[in-house]
Amino acid sequence: MIIQSSRFGELDITATDIINFPHGIPGFPNEKAFVAIVSDPDSPFSFLQSTTEANLTFLLADPFTFFKDYEFELDDEVARELGVSPEKPPQVFIIATVKEKLEDMTANLLAPVVINSHERIGRQIILDKSGYKTRHRLFPNGLPEQSAQGGR
Amino acid sequence: MLALTRKPGERIVIGDNIVVTVVDIKGENIRLAIDAPREIKIYRGEIYDDIVVENKQAAVPLNMSEMDILKVLHLKK
Repeated sequence: MIIQSSRFGELDITATDIINFPHGIPGFPNEKAFVAIVSDPDSPFSFLQSTTEANLTFLLADPFTFFKDYEFELDDEVARELGVSPEKPPQVFIIATVKEKLEDMTANLLAPVVINSHERIGRQIILDKSGYKTRHRLFPNGLPEQSAQGGR
Repeated sequence: MLALTRKPGERIVIGDNIVVTVVDIKGENIRLAIDAPREIKIYRGEIYDDIVVENKQAAVPLNMSEMDILKVLHLKK
């Protein structure tokens, strides 16, 4: 089926591309079906696109690229609902917020997005006892050098 | 939207399996005890609100230039 994305244009997806968010997402309680868009598998960034709202695209980041000590306990009920376990671990993403200047980007470590990519179920969970915040700078030392990667 | 007045010790039953009990009141602070099934998550309102606000800001704005997106995507893991 074709879905619309303001960011990516028309996307031809199948049912198996859809990741279900049975609880919606805080602020968007009726948004329960998304697709993941990965433009560059080596990049820590990807996108979560709503299948029903063309304008709704979240920028996701791999938390461990930026915060190697990031950790949290996944509640048993949530783990059960998502069908994940130490043997079948979930994918974890943090939602990034873009500011006027790219280097001011922040990400929400207080509420990561946890996805079981095999069963295609996801949930944004709130780590209210963790001490993490909704805004952690991804580039506290400025953007990394983009200089020549070739010739290595 | 239902507004109730309760005294310490009194309860509110929500649905079939959620019970809110007013434990006590000290000055401005009201202590509540909430009994709910473990699959129902309970958060202080300001924490939940903060997540909602941040999610809404994070929904990628349409004016983020294509160049910025490309730059962002080429940062390596």
